[in-house]
Amino acid sequence: MTGVRKFLQTYAIGLIVLVVAVVLSLMTPHFFRVENLLNVMTNAAVVAIVGAGMTLAIASGNFDLSVGSTAAFAGCVSMSVVPTAGVAAGIVAGLLTGALVGLANGLIITELRVPAFIATLGMLEIVRGLALIYTQGRDIYLYGQTEYKVLSGGHIFGIPMPVLIAVGLAGLIALVVAQTRFGRHVLAIGNSLPAARRSGVRTSLVLWGVFVIVGMTAALSGMVISAQVLTANGRLATGLELSAIAVVVVGGTALSGGRASLVGTLLGALLVAVINNGLNLLNVPIFYQELTVGILLVVALALSVDRSFNPFTQLRRQQ
Amino acid sequence: MNAPGTTAPPLLQLRGISRRFPGVLALDNVDFDVRPGEVHALVGENGAGKSTLINILAGVHQPSAGNVEINGRPIDLPTPLSAQHAGISVIFQEFNLLPTLSVAENVFINREPTKGARIDWPAMYRRTTEVLALLDVDLDPRVEVRDLPVAQQQLVEIAKALSFKASLIVMDEPTAALSEREVERLLKLVRTLADGGVSVLYVSHKLTEVFAIADRITVLRDGRHVLTENRSNLNERQVISAMVGRELIYTTCPERRPGEVVFRVRSLRLPGSPAAVSLDLRAGEVLGLAGLMGSGSTDVMLALFGLQPVDAGEVTLNGSAIAINGPQTAIRAGVGFVPDDRKKAGVLPDLSVMHNVTVGILDRVRTGFWIDRRKERAVIDDYGQKLNIRYSSPNQMVSGLSGGNQQKVILARALAENCRVLLLCEPTRGVDVGAKAEIYTLIDRLVEAGIAVLLQSSELPEIIRLANRCIVFAGGRPVGELAGAALTQPAVMELATGLGRDETRVKAPAAAAPGDSGNGEEAGG
Repeated sequence: MTGVRKFLQTYAIGLIVLVVAVVLSLMTPHFFRVENLLNVMTNAAVVAIVGAGMTLAIASGNFDLSVGSTAAFAGCVSMSVVPTAGVAAGIVAGLLTGALVGLANGLIITELRVPAFIATLGMLEIVRGLALIYTQGRDIYLYGQTEYKVLSGGHIFGIPMPVLIAVGLAGLIALVVAQTRFGRHVLAIGNSLPAARRSGVRTSLVLWGVFVIVGMTAALSGMVISAQVLTANGRLATGLELSAIAVVVVGGTALSGGRASLVGTLLGALLVAVINNGLNLLNVPIFYQELTVGILLVVALALSVDRSFNPFTQLRRQQ
Repeated sequence: MNAPGTTAPPLLQLRGISRRFPGVLALDNVDFDVRPGEVHALVGENGAGKSTLINILAGVHQPSAGNVEINGRPIDLPTPLSAQHAGISVIFQEFNLLPTLSVAENVFINREPTKGARIDWPAMYRRTTEVLALLDVDLDPRVEVRDLPVAQQQLVEIAKALSFKASLIVMDEPTAALSEREVERLLKLVRTLADGGVSVLYVSHKLTEVFAIADRITVLRDGRHVLTENRSNLNERQVISAMVGRELIYTTCPERRPGEVVFRVRSLRLPGSPAAVSLDLRAGEVLGLAGLMGSGSTDVMLALFGLQPVDAGEVTLNGSAIAINGPQTAIRAGVGFVPDDRKKAGVLPDLSVMHNVTVGILDRVRTGFWIDRRKERAVIDDYGQKLNIRYSSPNQMVSGLSGGNQQKVILARALAENCRVLLLCEPTRGVDVGAKAEIYTLIDRLVEAGIAVLLQSSELPEIIRLANRCIVFAGGRPVGELAGAALTQPAVMELATGLGRDETRVKAPAAAAPGDSGNGEEAGG
C-alpha cells in the first residue's frame, strides 16, 4: 500500500498527463496536432511562470495571494512605458514593478509581522486598486508596437516564447533551490523558522528575496498575458493566484513548506492546460472545466505526501 | 512501605502483548500487572516500547498479539473512547486539552451536564470545583485553559481523568515541563490518588522521581519486559543497568583543566530582571547555569546568543568586544548554540542529515556560486565520525534519526560553524539514557580540545556530571557560585530554592511560598 502510494506520488503527474493526452488523442483528431499542442503548452506556460515563483514561496512555508494583481499592475505599467521608452524598458519597468510589490510583501511579513496569508491578501486588494487607479479603469493598447509581442508570440526552433520562459525559469529556480545557499536557506526556513534562525540563516533577508522573486515571476506572467492581445487593463489575471497555487499543489509541492518540486509545477500546469483544452475540443461547456480542476486539486492533495495541515492527518498520526 | 497488599488481584493484567509495526517489533510478548491503588513506574530508554504500550492502553494502537485484562476480564480497546469506558485515562505528554475552552468545559467535554438541550453551566462549574477540590486545587473553572501555566493544565487533565471515575491513570513523562517545586507537588498528588484507590502507571525516565513515588517498577528494554520488582528491592544502579543492559559509568565531572578566560560577560542586564549578570568562561571548562524554571538562567543563554533583547552589558570573546544582536553576529563571533527545544527550534526535519549540519556554513562549501556536494559531503563525513552520529546515509532525512542522534546533528551544526564558545541549553532533554552518556562523553572531548562550554540545565545530575563550576540563579538573579567539591546537588538546590536566604525569599515570593496556584507568573519565563 505505502509502496504503491509512494510510486504514485513520485510519478503520478507525469503519468496522468500522458494518459490524459493519449485518451484525448483517441477521442478527438484535433488534439494531437502541432498547432494545438503548442497552444496547450503556451496556456500552461502562462500559469507555470508564476507557478515557478509560487513554488519557492510555498517551499519557504508561505504563499503569495497577490500575484494576480501584481501581474495586472506590472502588465499595465510595462505597456504604458513601451510607446515612449521602447520594449526593453517596458519589460524592465514591469519586472521592477513586480519586484517592488514583492519587497512590500516581504517587509509586511517580516517587519510588521503580519502572517503571509493576511499580508498578501491585503496586497491583492491594494495592488489591484493601484492597477485600476493607474489605468483609470481603461484599457491600454499598444498599436503598432508589435515587437512587444515577442513575449507571447516569439519562437525559437518553433517553441513558443512563453514555454521557453517557463521552462527556463523553472530550471533556474530548481537549480537555485538545489545548489545555492539562498535556495537551501529557503528550504531551511520552510522546515522550521526558529531552527533556521538559530543556525545563522538571515531569515528576513531570505524571505524578502523569495517574495521579490515571486513578484517578478508574477510580473512576467502578466506581461506575457498582455502581450498575447497587446492590451492590458486593471482587471487582468483575476484569480491567477489560485491557479498558481493549484498547479504547485497538483505538482506535489507540500503546502507545509520545506520542499520544492519545480518539475512537478511544470507538469501540474501542463495537466490543467491539457484537461481544459480537451474539454474545449470535446465541446464540453466551460463550467465543467472549473469542476474538473477542482476535482483534480482534491485528488492531488489526497495523494500528496504531507497533509499535516489537515488536523485529521495529525489525529491519525498521533502515536 | 505503603505498598498495597501483595495478594490483591491485579486491576490491569497484560498478557503476552506484542505489537508489530512495518519492519519493527515494538513490543515483544510483554507481561506485567498493575494492582489497585498502586503507583507503578514504567521505565525504559526511548524506543523501549513505552509509548507503544501507552498507546495500546489508550486505545490508539491495537496489540498484534496478547490480551489486556481489567479486573480479570479480557477487554478490547479499539478506540480511545473504549479505553475511557474501561476506566483507563491516559495523560499524554502533550496534553489533550482545548486551549480556548474553559477548565470546566475541558473536564466535561462530551459529557456536559444539560438541562433540556442547553448546557447546565452552574452544574458544570459546581461539579468541576468539586473534582478540583478532591485534588486540593483552587482553580477557577471559568478560566480558559490556555491562560494557565503548564503545571495547572496538567491538573486539569488529572481532574478530567478523575471525573471519568478512571481506575487507572497513565501518566506519560508527567514532569517533563515542570519545575522542581511543581514536580514535588505532583508526586504528592499521585500519592494521594493512589491512597484513594486509583492506580497510577507512571511512565518516566527520571529515576529520582520514580524512586520517590513508585511502589513497584517495571523495566522495558527493546520492546521486551526485563523486570517488575518492588521498589524497596531495587536501587537506581540496578534499574539503569536493566534499562541499558550495561552498567553506566561515572556520575561526577572528570577533572577539567581550564585555560585562559575566553568569554567575558560584564553587567549583562535583561529587561525586567532585578540584577545584572557577569561571568568569566575559560577555555576547557564547563560553567553550569542552574536554577528552577523561571529563575533567569535560560534568559541569559538566549540573550548571549542574541535571541532576547538586552538593556545593557558587554561581551568580549578572546579580548575583543562583540556585539550580540542576533544569531548571525553571535555565530560569526564564534559562539555556538544548542537550543533546548530540539523539535521546534533545532532540527530541520525534512532536510537530510548532511543539509542539517551544513545549513550554517554553506559559504564554506561553495565553489563560486554553487554548493559543492563533495565539500559538503566531506563536512558531514568528518563530523559524523567525530560525533559518532548514526545514520544510514548522509542523505537520510534527519526526522528518521533517534532523539540522541538528532541532538548530535545539532551539535555538529554548531561545531561546524567553528565556535569556540558553546552555549548548551538542556543538551540531553528527551534523550534516552544511553545517548545521554554518549553526549556527556562527547562534551568531555570537546572541552578537552579547548572549547569553552556554558551549560544551562534543569537536571541537576547533569550539571554535577558536566560542570566544574556552577552559577545558581533564583528570581532572575545569580545568587551564588559553587565549584569543585562544594558543587553538589543539595548545595545547588539550597541556593536555587532560596533556603536560608531571606532577601531571595522576599524578591521571589512565588518561589518561596508553599502551596497553591500562586506560582503562575513564574512559569512563563
